[in-house]
Amino acid sequence: MNRLHPRSAVLRVARAALQGGFFGFFGGSLGTGMFGLPAFAVPLLGLLGALTFSGYALARYFRFQYELDGDTLTVESGVFARQSRQIPLGRVQNLDVEQNILNRLLGLAIVRFETAGGSATEATLDAVDEAEVKRLRNYVRTHDRDQAAEAETATADTVSEAATPGRSAHADLPGVTGPKPTHAGDTQARNDLGEPVSESDTAERDQPDGSLLFAFTQRELLTYALVSVRPAAPVLTLASLPLGMDVVWAVLRFNATLAGASLSGPVVRWLTGSPETTRLAVFAALSVVQFLLLALVVSVALTVIEYYGFQLTQADDDLRYERGLLRRYSGNIPLEKVQTVTIRENVLMRRFGYATLAVETAGYSGGNQQSTQGVAVPLAPREEVYELARDIEPFGDLDFDRSPKRARRRYLARFSLAAAGLTAVAYALDTLLLETGYWWVAALLFLTVAPAAHLRWRHRGYDLGESVLATRSGFWRRTTRIVPYYRLQTVFVTRSPFQRRRDLATVGADTASSSSLLGGVARVYDIDEDTAKELRDTLRERLTAHVAGLRTGDRAGDADA
Amino acid sequence: MESLHPRVRLLWVLSTVIQASVLGVIAYLVDRFAVSLPQTVVVGGWVVLVVLGIVHAIAAHRIWRFDLQDDALFLLRGVVTRTDTSVPYVRVQHVDTTRGPVERAIGLASVVVYTAGTRGADITIPGLRPERATELREQLRDLANESEATDAV
Repeated sequence: MNRLHPRSAVLRVARAALQGGFFGFFGGSLGTGMFGLPAFAVPLLGLLGALTFSGYALARYFRFQYELDGDTLTVESGVFARQSRQIPLGRVQNLDVEQNILNRLLGLAIVRFETAGGSATEATLDAVDEAEVKRLRNYVRTHDRDQAAEAETATADTVSEAATPGRSAHADLPGVTGPKPTHAGDTQARNDLGEPVSESDTAERDQPDGSLLFAFTQRELLTYALVSVRPAAPVLTLASLPLGMDVVWAVLRFNATLAGASLSGPVVRWLTGSPETTRLAVFAALSVVQFLLLALVVSVALTVIEYYGFQLTQADDDLRYERGLLRRYSGNIPLEKVQTVTIRENVLMRRFGYATLAVETAGYSGGNQQSTQGVAVPLAPREEVYELARDIEPFGDLDFDRSPKRARRRYLARFSLAAAGLTAVAYALDTLLLETGYWWVAALLFLTVAPAAHLRWRHRGYDLGESVLATRSGFWRRTTRIVPYYRLQTVFVTRSPFQRRRDLATVGADTASSSSLLGGVARVYDIDEDTAKELRDTLRERLTAHVAGLRTGDRAGDADA
Repeated sequence: MESLHPRVRLLWVLSTVIQASVLGVIAYLVDRFAVSLPQTVVVGGWVVLVVLGIVHAIAAHRIWRFDLQDDALFLLRGVVTRTDTSVPYVRVQHVDTTRGPVERAIGLASVVVYTAGTRGADITIPGLRPERATELREQLRDLANESEATDAV
């Protein structure tokens, strides 16, 4: 059995001592104030708190043991409630490594093992040193490879011609992965994959056989930061504005003077004292532009911090990513655990021919670490992204079928209703409160209704490929999902009352993906009801056929061996 | 296609009554300790909710169907938005029968089918006689096991 690194114990004990000391100190101060404890109780309680907390931390350190043996990871933990956990390595979906600044100074790293079950990370080693990280990673990877190699020698003859659709995993959760792999064609295809870009400067220290698939130069990183709009950035900016309220007031004051207001007191007094409409408009426009610029800066900074030094490598059948400026993240994604492949392009990226590639596994079921999951290539030219996507999950050229034209009429009706609602609100606000007489400006929204409906309709579609279902949706951020048939979970068809009026239906294909926010569901929106039923039956048939196909190949291979 | 036991309507109506009454109690507390609410609104709201619940229960029972098809469990449901769900037997992780307190009082049971998916990872078939629920659970278990065995041949 192994222990965590002693340096991590020192770190934890120190942290616990600080916490306990603070706790005791705080309690002591409260006690002297409220119950008249003598003054020396304060340092005494502080010391007691520090000792108790650090003692517990030390006990936890000594209780925590782990071991990699055969194909199992065993973790013993817990001081009072003791726990012993065993994780079959074949079920490990992801292995993630995180280093914050302190850890990096100490040469330590936190390792997380993710499996498909459970609501949280299944095993966290906090922390081990870098050599141990390498050993763990290699053990898990080569364990996979050994298994794969066995299967490969067994199935090489029988399966290569059997036209089995894609690769799949070891015997696993029946729902999460398909049956055993058919690596014969796969490994071959992967040898000559993705021209290694300048392998020398970002040398693969611990994976000599890893080939670099993708890396960011500084300029590309900045481009990515600029074009990838983070919806969270304005919210974050707004939330942190009160921290610099003085600066905010000063800027607002400056804006007011620029707008030509003669200020005799605080800006608020000018605002509440019914200023002229034009001045107010200039003032508001200025402030909004400044705010958006600030949000953009925040967004760029966040993205740069998150993706600094990003690189994606491939070693055998694992994808391996590394990224982060302050906290370094790295992780392994076994290709055979990939559930769906998603290609995202927002308007800006589409304009310049770029795209984002994300792969999803069933690993992070707790919904923790949303930001780390899945992004395989943050930004690359579209062709490269598709090439890599095809390599992860083979699919042919995508030729999307659009929804029938009456779906577009549905969007038209829906957007018109929304525009009418907003105009009504604007009218009510204006007549009751503002009395500017400009409420009809909101009615200009109707001008956008027709193009909006058309764009939504145009960017939605689906394609039934030979081994995958592809769906596409979204204008501002177009998302293309590639779902292999053998990864399908449930299939459902929904019809809202509005859809029923037009004989339309939406088909959803669920997979065991992890992102609960984006949803593992690939949706085919607003297709003809009969087509929807056909699609549902086709999906069910193909799921059965492809699972059966894989199993047959598997069995034949086993019999051979 | 099999429909649910008619008594499931009573179950649904009862749970609406319970929910509406909880809301009523909250309204009473608000009325007592915070803002005064007109009594007609509270009572009227309760009646409207219960009537809606009854209408919904009748409609839902009329629409609800399920069927054990060759390769998948098939469900048809939804009053406002109609949904049909296909759960392939290969994807079934495990099957539960559950009986809540109201269900026990009425003498009904539910079967819950779990998949590894994200949406609809647990699918509930309510309103079954307890014997039927047990039977269905065993059928589903066998079908899930079988689908793997036959596939591998």
